[in-house]
Amino acid sequence: MSRRIAIVEDEPAIRENYADVLRRHGYEVAAYTRRTDALAAFRTRLPDLAIVDIGLGDDIDGGFALCRDLRALSASVPIIFLSARDSDFDIVAGLRLGADDYLTKDVSLPQLLARIAALFRRSELSASPPAAEEILERGRLALDLKRLTAHWAGMRVDLTLTEFWMVHALARFPGHVKDRDALMREAEIVVDDSTITSHVKRIRKKFLALDTGFDCIETVYGMGYRWNLAG
Amino acid sequence: MSSHPEALPALEPVRKTPFNSADAPKPSGLDGPAPEPRKRRLRVALGIRAQLLLVLTVFLAVPWLGFEYVKELERFLRDAQERTLAGTAQAVATALHDRVPLFEAGAAPMGTLTAERGTDDAARADANVDAIDSPEIAQILRGLSRTTARIWVVDRERHVLARAGSLKHPWAVREPAADGSYLSRLGAWVERDVLQPLYARILQQPTEDFKDEPASGAVASGKDIEGALAGILTIDRRPTTDGKAVIVSAAHPIWVGDEVKGAVIVEETTNAVLAERNRAFARLFNIVLAALLIGSVALTLYASWLSTRIRRLRDVAEAAIDARGRVRGKLPGSTARDEIGDLSRSFGAALSRLTQYASYQETMAGRLSHELRTPLAVVRSSVDNLALHPLPAELRVYIARAQDGLARLANIITRMTEATRLEETLAEAERERFDIAKVVVGCVDGYRAAYPGRVFELRVPSGEAPFFGAPELIAQMLDKLCENAVEFAIEGTPIVVALQQDETRYRIAVTNRGRALPETMQGRLFDSMVSVREPRGGGGPHLGLGLYIVRLIAEFHGGRAVAANRDDGEGVTVSATLPRVRALR
Repeated sequence: MSRRIAIVEDEPAIRENYADVLRRHGYEVAAYTRRTDALAAFRTRLPDLAIVDIGLGDDIDGGFALCRDLRALSASVPIIFLSARDSDFDIVAGLRLGADDYLTKDVSLPQLLARIAALFRRSELSASPPAAEEILERGRLALDLKRLTAHWAGMRVDLTLTEFWMVHALARFPGHVKDRDALMREAEIVVDDSTITSHVKRIRKKFLALDTGFDCIETVYGMGYRWNLAG
Repeated sequence: MSSHPEALPALEPVRKTPFNSADAPKPSGLDGPAPEPRKRRLRVALGIRAQLLLVLTVFLAVPWLGFEYVKELERFLRDAQERTLAGTAQAVATALHDRVPLFEAGAAPMGTLTAERGTDDAARADANVDAIDSPEIAQILRGLSRTTARIWVVDRERHVLARAGSLKHPWAVREPAADGSYLSRLGAWVERDVLQPLYARILQQPTEDFKDEPASGAVASGKDIEGALAGILTIDRRPTTDGKAVIVSAAHPIWVGDEVKGAVIVEETTNAVLAERNRAFARLFNIVLAALLIGSVALTLYASWLSTRIRRLRDVAEAAIDARGRVRGKLPGSTARDEIGDLSRSFGAALSRLTQYASYQETMAGRLSHELRTPLAVVRSSVDNLALHPLPAELRVYIARAQDGLARLANIITRMTEATRLEETLAEAERERFDIAKVVVGCVDGYRAAYPGRVFELRVPSGEAPFFGAPELIAQMLDKLCENAVEFAIEGTPIVVALQQDETRYRIAVTNRGRALPETMQGRLFDSMVSVREPRGGGGPHLGLGLYIVRLIAEFHGGRAVAANRDDGEGVTVSATLPRVRALR
């Protein structure tokens, strides 16, 4: 049975373009223009993944409300925000509502497809036991490359897909400086430098919440970031 | 720590920027950009108060008019006095006409008039009356003693037949009525001890302490009496011999038949007139002075109130716009319903329009990019869709070109939002203590890798340079400074990155060789979407946001950004000054 993806987007050209490419890649697509239509459909049948725009016509924060409602219906359905809005405030708000990722609309279709595939892999494998060969261990950090999950000293670090890929890019070669372009490439996003800075800040905060002594991500001014092995 | 010691001369011209000059405004206070020094506290040479007081001098003509009026009054009083004296003389003479016994008694007259005039003694009045052998005449003469004037009756030989009255009268000193109230006592004091001495200087004061010596001859001999003995009513006015008083006299002939047998002389000092004139003058002056005093106090208060309001408006208006012409705050419109209130409201309206325009300009980039992103997504997803189809190779070229163009467009949009996002970042940026020199060194190392064709010269002080701020923002600021320098530097010339410090601040300056800035645009360089120079070919998009970001970050750290041409005009230095005070706290 093919996976079912819901697209909630008010701009018809974008909606149809996304729907076309997803169908061509074997997904079943349900497209909605308004929040109420989408929610009614979700109540009847949950999608396997939802791509949601924040501004839906006159409902400027309709995507946020829809995300909250969908999370209430299901804790596990992957949700991706896809919006023209790129402020930190919107990103933080979207992720706090339980979205798995936040993309701006200048993402390319291949990048979008890669993310969708990764999210499906993550939700699919979360039940099955981890395979040892897929674990990248760097000191107390353990990255499960299959499930795309991260653990710090045995505790789960709740990273978004973007954040996971960034941590992975840094931790794969400890001590090597990764500049912002490299991080963007690895995380399959195109953003500006200060968004990268915000992402790194959020990653640090998530680790610091678990371990107040965390200082593995070092800023190398003018160059980028570097993963330092603790101790 | 200098990696290029030979770079020192290149930096020299730059050193003469305001950072090192003595008159550079010192950043003070921890909030916001350094306040501009208020050099010209008072720019008006003649304030409203002074102007109104000047206008008030017009009213000084009022006392002068009063003085003229009082002089006229005095003339009138003198005429009246002369007429009165003439009338009295005529009346006495009329009573004595044709009274022969008066002149026949004169065996032992009192002496000549000339001698008698000098010895004015009221006690001796009518001493000769008894010598007249006519009760009727004696009665007339006795009646004369009631007069306030001095009256003589003389015969043709100028022997005094009778006299009455005195020139001297004890004047009643007018004591101001001092009732209990403090105010009236103050008024009395002012009048007695301040005003009266002043009036005494201006006006001649009547005095009873005069002497009229007979020895001075001609004067005392009496022109008046000569006229009277010649049969004519004569009025004369003469000063006393010591000049302290003026005596007015009227002489009338006494006829016996057709013959002038004697004369009646009535004389009086002008003291009564003077006293009356002085009293009128004092009263007028008191009133005028009081009116002037109250008027000028009221006008001064009014002018102070006006000028205070205007000055307050000026201060508020000046504080509302900073040196670069940006609106700092709103102007609270006055509610006063007069012209100044109206002016304040119109200032407020102008400022708010300016604010709207400035904020429109500053948010335009952000909103524009937001609006562009949706159509860009339409194009991009369409092209991407197309690319996923099997297409002949010759068509793939166009797809690749379209995608390349889209990538550049996306890059432009991303950079347009950078400033907007930075403003959000600043709102929640966290500060920490860090070594600013290390950041500068690290960044320049990065630039050497990022711009392989360029030469970067680095000047940083040796040792640690502690600073309290957001290191990633400082790095971002340096990125923008260097991006700007690289864009405009002449190929092959070095870009000098310098970190300078003194007790109170750091200065990060990036200097490049290239075209100078036009003088007029230097202040606007740091505004959003303002680009002054034509970029020297190629490279990334040029939106005029880089230096705006520099300014935002410098101001976030309580400093400011400055752009200046090198002294030799061969290039430009853009610098950010960051106060260290924050680091020390």
